[in-house]
Amino acid sequence: MNRMYQDRRGLAGTLVLGGLLFLIPTVLVDQPYLLHISILICIYAIPAVGLNLMLGYTGLVSLGHMAFAGIGAYVAAILMVDAGWSFWFAMPVAVVSAGVAGALIGIPALRLRSHHFIIVTLAFGMILFLVMNNWDEVTRGAEGFPGVPRPDPLPFGGPDGINFLTLENFYYLSLAFTVAVFVLQWALVRSDFGRSLEAIKQDETLASFKGVNTMAYKVAVFAIGSGVAGLGGVLKVSFLRVAAPLSFELLESINIVLIVVVGGAGFLAGPLLGAIIFVGLPEYLRIAKELRLVIFGAVLLIITLFAPKGLAGMPVMLRTRLQRWRNAAV
Amino acid sequence: MFDAVLEQIINGTMMGSIYVLVGLGLVLIYGVMHVLNFAHGMMFMLGGYLAYSFFAHVTGDYGSAVLLSMLSLVVFGAVLERLIFKPLRGNLRNQVIASLALVLLIQNSVIAIWGPSGIQFKLSTAEILIPIGAVRFSLQHILVIVVTFACMGVLFVFLKYTKFGTALRATSQNNEAALVVGINTQRMYWVSFAIGSALAALGGALIGPLFLVFPQMGDLPLVKALAGILLGGMGSIPGAVIGGLLIGITEALSTLVIATDYRDAVTFVVIILILLFRPQGLFGVRVRGEA
Repeated sequence: MNRMYQDRRGLAGTLVLGGLLFLIPTVLVDQPYLLHISILICIYAIPAVGLNLMLGYTGLVSLGHMAFAGIGAYVAAILMVDAGWSFWFAMPVAVVSAGVAGALIGIPALRLRSHHFIIVTLAFGMILFLVMNNWDEVTRGAEGFPGVPRPDPLPFGGPDGINFLTLENFYYLSLAFTVAVFVLQWALVRSDFGRSLEAIKQDETLASFKGVNTMAYKVAVFAIGSGVAGLGGVLKVSFLRVAAPLSFELLESINIVLIVVVGGAGFLAGPLLGAIIFVGLPEYLRIAKELRLVIFGAVLLIITLFAPKGLAGMPVMLRTRLQRWRNAAV
Repeated sequence: MFDAVLEQIINGTMMGSIYVLVGLGLVLIYGVMHVLNFAHGMMFMLGGYLAYSFFAHVTGDYGSAVLLSMLSLVVFGAVLERLIFKPLRGNLRNQVIASLALVLLIQNSVIAIWGPSGIQFKLSTAEILIPIGAVRFSLQHILVIVVTFACMGVLFVFLKYTKFGTALRATSQNNEAALVVGINTQRMYWVSFAIGSALAALGGALIGPLFLVFPQMGDLPLVKALAGILLGGMGSIPGAVIGGLLIGITEALSTLVIATDYRDAVTFVVIILILLFRPQGLFGVRVRGEA
């Protein structure tokens, strides 16, 4: 009961936040810089939702998450540039490819637990990175895959359709994808599927005794999370117009883990809050790139030490503290 | 052919020694605290930078610079354990995440201080060549191997024959039982962190003069060392030594067969195969809750 209530409030909060984001271009006319930042936030929030499903709701720490975003990105880039596909056909194929790759790697990897699982995701992520970085004939190697197009115009809404060449329209597109992904997260988490994931997170052995096919659920969530990451990858390369292996390396995977944790793992709004902090705070502070990451690292350490539930978990944490303090006072 | 193989075996033993130094620290910390410290590669990198700085600006003497660098890392490791890992004890996920945050924090602080590009650590021992058979190696190669083996010897004696080392092993075998027999386990935690960090720093200080000293220099050795300790069996100290050397030699020999671009992939494939088919490693230390 309480949980339903919290879910609904989380959804409401996320929707309000999303609605506000839709207004950004109308409020901030002629602010290309802020739009650029907002698109980057979406690009990080999408894979973060994928990881939140795994890390936050199922308890699986993956250090190879961005490699799956890379699979999506490269599949889309190859289909669009080499095969001449339209974005709208390449994107779903790319997402499914990332999901299938997630399932294929998940089946052996998810037999392991704890540290061993973390290490194996790291190893798979590194191998995928090496392939992107070195398979010159297909991925164009370390210099990146140039010439990835923006999405083709949609054939409605105005005489020439809606094109995505302007920053503003691309922002709306990324926001639409972001909202869709958050709704997916909400729907999954409140379903029976989500409850089984929660059971696995709390005690995997107990969950399997209670009749949850833990392996199947873990593989499913790994595949979904990877597919969602793939969507983020497609969006990223279509925005930057180039697929670079460095976007999908270990450090980026670590960043995504940190985004989810800072925002609040296991909270609906967590990935969005985390992405806003990760992209926005350094931009706001406007200092040298290294120092930004130093500050982000420090913020993160403080959050892990003092607010282990992340930003989204802070109200809950403060309320319990207050209650405990009141009870003690009585 | 024979010369090429010999060359790669010596190269591999040298790199393997580096992986052993990193791996020993990882195993010590993992054994005692049951936490994988992903920031361990940062200690390696800091060791390289500090040794360079002490060498170039303070002492002018390689040996003392290396010792000072190790000493600094002893302090740094102990402080990190007290400040960050101690409050998170018992929460594995947050400890792993804190170590990832430390990676970000330390790596970028180093970039802010010393700059993003590599620094040349010029040392005469890296230029003196010694002929072994038909191939020639720098004195530094030999130094790396000799120092590592000496260190392993010291560590072995320390763990096996001193009271303190015995207490450390006891804590790593069974934390609660160690507490019951009167071992100050809290002290064992930071001591293992300090020793581990110093060993990693030694690795960084030894490899610096052969390659460059750069902010990412600890990333790959960390992963390779991880592969080494998995191969040897997590928590096993002789396993870490043999595993690290095996990884070093295997990857060096693999360059004779496959493209160097994919040399690192060998390690990752090894990691995956071990975890899937023999998660307890070659030496069969099975840890409860893992695998």
